[in-house]
Amino acid sequence: MKPAPFKYARPGSVDEALALLQAGGDEAKVLAGGQSLVPLLNLRMASVESIVDLNRLDDLAYIKRDNDTLCIGAMTRHRQIEVSDAVQAAQPLLCRAAAEVGHLAIRNRGTIGGSLVHADPAAEWPLVAAALDAQLVLRSQDNSRTVAAREFFLAPLMTAIEPTEILCEVRFPVAPAGAVWGFQELCRRPGDFAIVAIACLLTLDDSGTCSAASLAVGGAHSTPLHIADVEPIVVGSQGDAAVLTAAAEKAAAAVEPSGDVHGSADYRRRMVKVLTQRALQEAWGK
Amino acid sequence: MASSQGGKRVNVSSISPRVEDTFTLSGKMVGAQVRRVEDPRVLLGKTQYVDDLDLPNSLALAFVRSPYAHARIVSTDAAAAQNQPGVQLVLTGADIAEAIKPLRVEYEPAKAPTHKPCDWPVLAQDKVRFVGEAAAVVVATDRYAAEDAAGLIDVEYEPLEPVSDVEQALAADAPLVHEEWGDNVMQTLQAEIGDVAKAFQEADCVVSERLTTGRHMALPMETRGCVASFEPATDTLTVWSSTQVPHVLRSHIALVLDFPEHHIRVVAPDVGGGFGQKGHLFPEEAVAAYLARRLGRPVKWIEDRRENLSASLHAKQQAVQAELAVRQDGTILGIRGRFVGDVGAYSEYPWGSAFEAGHAASSMPGPYKTPAFSFEAVSVATNKTTIGVYRGVGLPIGVLTMERLMDLAAQKLGLDPAEIRLRNMIRKEEHPYTTIIGAEVESGSHRESLQKALDILGYQERRAEQQRARTQGRYLGIGIGCYLEGTAPSSAAFASMGLNLGGYESATVRMDVAGKVTVLVGTHSHGQSHETTLAQVAADELGVSLADVKIIEGDTNAVPYGMGTWGSRSAVTGGGAISRASQKLRTKMLRIASRMTEVPDDDLELAEGMIRRKADATPLMPIKELAHRILVQAGSLPPDEEPGLDATAHYEPPPSTHANATHIALVEVDSDTGKVTLLRYVVVEDCGTIINPTVVDGQIQGGVAQGIGTALYEHALYDENGQFLTGTLMDYLIPTAIDVPQVEIGHIESPSPHTPHGIKGVGEGGAIAPPAAIANAVADALAPFEVRVDAIPLTPERVLGWIEQHKAAA
Repeated sequence: MKPAPFKYARPGSVDEALALLQAGGDEAKVLAGGQSLVPLLNLRMASVESIVDLNRLDDLAYIKRDNDTLCIGAMTRHRQIEVSDAVQAAQPLLCRAAAEVGHLAIRNRGTIGGSLVHADPAAEWPLVAAALDAQLVLRSQDNSRTVAAREFFLAPLMTAIEPTEILCEVRFPVAPAGAVWGFQELCRRPGDFAIVAIACLLTLDDSGTCSAASLAVGGAHSTPLHIADVEPIVVGSQGDAAVLTAAAEKAAAAVEPSGDVHGSADYRRRMVKVLTQRALQEAWGK
Repeated sequence: MASSQGGKRVNVSSISPRVEDTFTLSGKMVGAQVRRVEDPRVLLGKTQYVDDLDLPNSLALAFVRSPYAHARIVSTDAAAAQNQPGVQLVLTGADIAEAIKPLRVEYEPAKAPTHKPCDWPVLAQDKVRFVGEAAAVVVATDRYAAEDAAGLIDVEYEPLEPVSDVEQALAADAPLVHEEWGDNVMQTLQAEIGDVAKAFQEADCVVSERLTTGRHMALPMETRGCVASFEPATDTLTVWSSTQVPHVLRSHIALVLDFPEHHIRVVAPDVGGGFGQKGHLFPEEAVAAYLARRLGRPVKWIEDRRENLSASLHAKQQAVQAELAVRQDGTILGIRGRFVGDVGAYSEYPWGSAFEAGHAASSMPGPYKTPAFSFEAVSVATNKTTIGVYRGVGLPIGVLTMERLMDLAAQKLGLDPAEIRLRNMIRKEEHPYTTIIGAEVESGSHRESLQKALDILGYQERRAEQQRARTQGRYLGIGIGCYLEGTAPSSAAFASMGLNLGGYESATVRMDVAGKVTVLVGTHSHGQSHETTLAQVAADELGVSLADVKIIEGDTNAVPYGMGTWGSRSAVTGGGAISRASQKLRTKMLRIASRMTEVPDDDLELAEGMIRRKADATPLMPIKELAHRILVQAGSLPPDEEPGLDATAHYEPPPSTHANATHIALVEVDSDTGKVTLLRYVVVEDCGTIINPTVVDGQIQGGVAQGIGTALYEHALYDENGQFLTGTLMDYLIPTAIDVPQVEIGHIESPSPHTPHGIKGVGEGGAIAPPAAIANAVADALAPFEVRVDAIPLTPERVLGWIEQHKAAA
């Protein structure tokens, strides 16, 4: 489990990093927290010509509130988000999701940007980014563009990012007044990738009636899947049992899971139903 | 030296690796809860594992491993690899066929007439038989270069139909793993004791069970590894190996390399876990030893995790069918069991992979009085990684089977699961009790340990809580697992099975001029705290403090020939050998002291560092003064006394030394997801006289953690083509600290009347009963769904499947 030889650069600025990627073309790979890429290199399941290590780019590690948007620098470590008062105040679902990423040692090192670009469909950040309609700011040497998370993920470990681009910032909407959330993750052991995970954000009025809803599924599809069809079922309701069941069935029907050693496709689909129901119950406080 | 930790300054040098120089109030170290001698070294990261050994001019090995489960090797092209920078040598199976004998397990044919031996070539010859089998080796300046080159070796394979499970293996037209066998059966053991047919005819109630256990493995935190070095000037081959059995390794390296054993030195440094897996000679070690001599440079092989998962040794995949016949009152009349073990491609060397199935089968009666018993144990070869002994060997499977049957019988008869066990257990007053398999159970606390475990759990309260929870749609379950373990097997026990293996142990005890004691013993700790517990034994025997004893293990040039550490044996056999050797030394010391003090030696004792008069504990002379007189002022010794203060003993343990325990698991099952959560775990163990309660507790806690892995998580999976699916720790799951509850441990001490100090073994015990206790707890939790718990590990999907099956049927 030793990696094949590769070239290594540790740029001191984003511009320098972008220049290296531009020069490296398809053969250069960005290293963020290294919690996925390094094991893949060691197992020789991935091999790269050169590594551009972003760990010196402290200016990509930040949490900033800009009115109704929470901006998180891509090199912000999971643990920083998990314990951030600003994040807790703006969008507490993010703190909850962060706490489920791996184990503490992984959270101290791994980054939100790294997780999003790695795009494991069972990982927490892709899931909440899809659920919350996060916007991802991508930069290349000549260009800057913003891509919606819901369009960013293309397939397992595949995204819309270009080899010359770096994900610089993740923008989450701040939770509106009356927002409640649910987060349910089923895994074999705490810290594992999810067999299935559900994140949802609802806006409730004083009577508990839902005025807006957003729900996504992780672990049960080739990408994190925002399930828009759930929203019309939930909006306008007070979350009674029939609504939750109908929503859960809708979510289960929307996913196309594949199986692995931890759960078959069929099991995952059934768990989407169970966990969707539980996530909505959790959000409603039932 | 000081270091900063969380804002506090810690003076590291104050954590001394030496032991407190104390005597206990009782004057006895055996039984005292002294701190582990090993702790400072381990906690400060100062342990020296084999990979910490960096010899100058060393080379690294990487093995080319088969991607096929079963294939003929057509050709191997190593030209590109040989030309890689840093590569010294590439060898294939054909290159070493003459130089290194295959590993071949032979049993005594008279004792094991059905056993078929097979050759395990250290590098595959004509064909490969499992994914991960070594087919070639690269020697390079470092492991990176070796792996780069290994990737360039082009082995052309002609895939053969793989044997992927025992059912297929036993079919008439099955492909053959070893053609010369004619079938795939490595060994069949059968026995019938008592009139089993009559027992089943006369029974009021018969319950039966078919179950399967998951293939899993020891997974030591430190993987396998070795460094080998050859010194031409002295014609000496030295092998440092992460092994549990230094002398066994030495003998078998000599055998397979045809190199004189007295020119081989094996050193086992600190070993980071073994659990049975490191009780073998492996192909990689033989290759490393050969290469060191051939190249005249040290070579290092450190197994990586993927190799450990796929190519070390697996364990405990069996398919079981068993029946229990009982009377209306629950009294056992007879047991039948058939255990079919999937032993994989070869036979673990030198003990043999056929051992496990028979061990599982014969462990079924356990602590229960059984008048009639028959079993069959079939070991079947498949194209998978070879199985090897792993903590508890067959016991976890035999105990799981029996304890499931006991619960099924209780359920059918309307008895409480605890009650049916209490009715059948060997009673204290019945010891020594000869079991149906002829083992003399010398002492024990079967009923008492069960009762105490129920008390710790608060059994009746938990039953009430279970009822309340069910009304809220929550499913709690209580599961009991009881076992009887023959620890520290004797040489005769192995001989009766035809295994060429000793059960004895050896120790040399030396006293120096200052009266301090060095103990050289043939066991080898891979986490068992021997430097503490064995020193406690020696300290008591020689009347010195713990700080005055140093335990040395693991170097075949230093310690007498011994069998190493496995089979819950070291406290019994290592402790026994140390006791015997110490007694020889003590006899000599007291004889000489008697002449000096003119007190009869029968009236003298060694205690608290002194020669004392036994009757009134009057100190007569410091031990160190006597030692000095004997070793340095030898001229003043009586003329008929030999100088010198050391003694060696070889201790053969009694035919059986039985430990017992009860485990109880309290679980909750999520009936929507199938996920099992362990709420509490209780163990009441009886390993006879406890040498050190902290160490016993540690053994229990660690063993239970591994048993939880067996019950809930661990599964080495292959697909139908024999492809290995669980090659990383993301796929092969073991319980982490988060998943293991703090085990609530109770102790009962029923000393063995046959061993020094009454010691029994405890190393494996913690891992034996968790599959039984947890499977029973899950079945109990899901009783409203009438689930049939017939397989482990209890994965969420499997458990949910049972619930859904019931719902579909209803």
